[in-house]
Amino acid sequence: MADPAVEDLLRALAPQVLGALVRRYGHFDTAEDATQEALLAAATRWPDTGPPDDPKAWLITVASRRLTDLLRAEQARRRREDTVARQLPADRWLAPPADRPPVDADDSLILLFLCCHPSLPPAGQIGLTLRAVGGLSTAEVARAFLVPEATMTRRITRAKQRIRDSGLPFAVPAGEERAARLDTVLHVLYLIFNEGYASTAGEQLHRTDLRAEAIRLARLLHRRTDDPEATGLLALMLLTDARTPARTGPDGSLVPMAEQDRRRWRGEQIAEGIRLVGAALPRRAVGPYQLQAAIAALHDEAPSVEATDWPQIVALYEMLLALHDNPVVRLNHAVAVAMARGPRAGLALLDALGADRRVAEDPRRYAARAHLLELAGEADAARQAYLAAARRSMNVAQQRYLHSRAARLG
Amino acid sequence: MKYLIMLYGSQQDYDAMAGRPGDRPPMSPEQLAAMHAHMETVHKELAESGELVDAQGLTAPVHARRVRLRGGAPVVTDGPYAETQEVLAGYTLVECASFDRATEIAARFVNPDAEGEYVDVRPVLDGVEELQG
Repeated sequence: MADPAVEDLLRALAPQVLGALVRRYGHFDTAEDATQEALLAAATRWPDTGPPDDPKAWLITVASRRLTDLLRAEQARRRREDTVARQLPADRWLAPPADRPPVDADDSLILLFLCCHPSLPPAGQIGLTLRAVGGLSTAEVARAFLVPEATMTRRITRAKQRIRDSGLPFAVPAGEERAARLDTVLHVLYLIFNEGYASTAGEQLHRTDLRAEAIRLARLLHRRTDDPEATGLLALMLLTDARTPARTGPDGSLVPMAEQDRRRWRGEQIAEGIRLVGAALPRRAVGPYQLQAAIAALHDEAPSVEATDWPQIVALYEMLLALHDNPVVRLNHAVAVAMARGPRAGLALLDALGADRRVAEDPRRYAARAHLLELAGEADAARQAYLAAARRSMNVAQQRYLHSRAARLG
Repeated sequence: MKYLIMLYGSQQDYDAMAGRPGDRPPMSPEQLAAMHAHMETVHKELAESGELVDAQGLTAPVHARRVRLRGGAPVVTDGPYAETQEVLAGYTLVECASFDRATEIAARFVNPDAEGEYVDVRPVLDGVEELQG
């Protein structure tokens, strides 16, 4: 797919085409294969011929035919083939007239809920979401997660089988079920974003595509659900992603936020993120994504570390902890407390966290300790803590950063 | 036919990469960037020629765990290797026409500036049947 315009168009249409197919014929797993093949056909043809007048109708037609072929090929499922043939009047192969309201407009959303079903393991949810809703090929998803294509194929196949076997209805769940399922959807998108943002091991990786995809899907969710947490997640992603240009040095090394050149942050993304979180918060359905977005907004608005509204950030972390006690949030809270009330107050909180097994040996706890010791003027102890953090880290860029901090303290 | 190209390194090599001062001088940012660029180029070429199956790098040996059974219960040793012991640091799995082609690819993973550095190439069994003859 060399043509970015065609690629964008296909990615946007992929879930709509799959949604239309599943809505009409069922067979999620086979319909998914058929959609992929239609997309592939379009990707190879359209850059030369240009897209047809109605690209969506073209894709639905091709995918429907392919679906029929695939079902026909399953000899043992002849009965199902008959059903499809009966359900497939020729006029349905074409797009509805332009004046008919787009009834299938929410199919992408339904697919998103289906792919993020709680009965699937997270790896399956993520793989299936990126393929079925994001329109990425299995090879692209595999590459993004650094696993062999065969592995990703198996994950996706298993997830599809599970959906087929569970006989889940093709609909967005209602009531309380909907809220619980939305949480899973948000979490899956958050994981996709983070996978693109921070690689946990190995050398520098460029996974910008995953981040862009997560933002695109979060935007879809925000537009279609009008849920404050969906808005919060989109804002959080935009406000975090906005710092990317300043996050790595020319040699690929990691630049911590305190030392980033804030003029290189993307102003437009920040403005949009702040606007979104500003609209969501007053709706009084505050959740973890909105709070994290609000914290990110305070960082992004501040002209420097010193001029950051730390007391406000401390208060937001405390609200976050009241919702869900999490050791990583406690770490961040400790650093914010140090910035608001002095390093000693933060160090006391970090030392107390040493008793929490989940985070006691985490390199982030040692790195935060080192930083606060440095601020407190304890150069020798800070140096030791930087080295201890480097020893525990598995990321080469992080290790290099920590060693350079230690070296600076002589 | 598949071939596994194995790259080795000691904890000291990893420390040099991590910028930790020790027996060996730490790598400069330029050296590290050049190494990454070289690995990326080679793997991109292998992906384009269709010979690349998989490639992974391993974290430093200090993060390794050795697992044994003692009286049927697992006993775990953290960081079981000596500082200078060369251990598997990464691998590239290729599928190519011949052992000679695999050897040619492997040679690109040896740093010409590092005296005595080596990689190993081992043909991969197609299935258990081969073992049974």
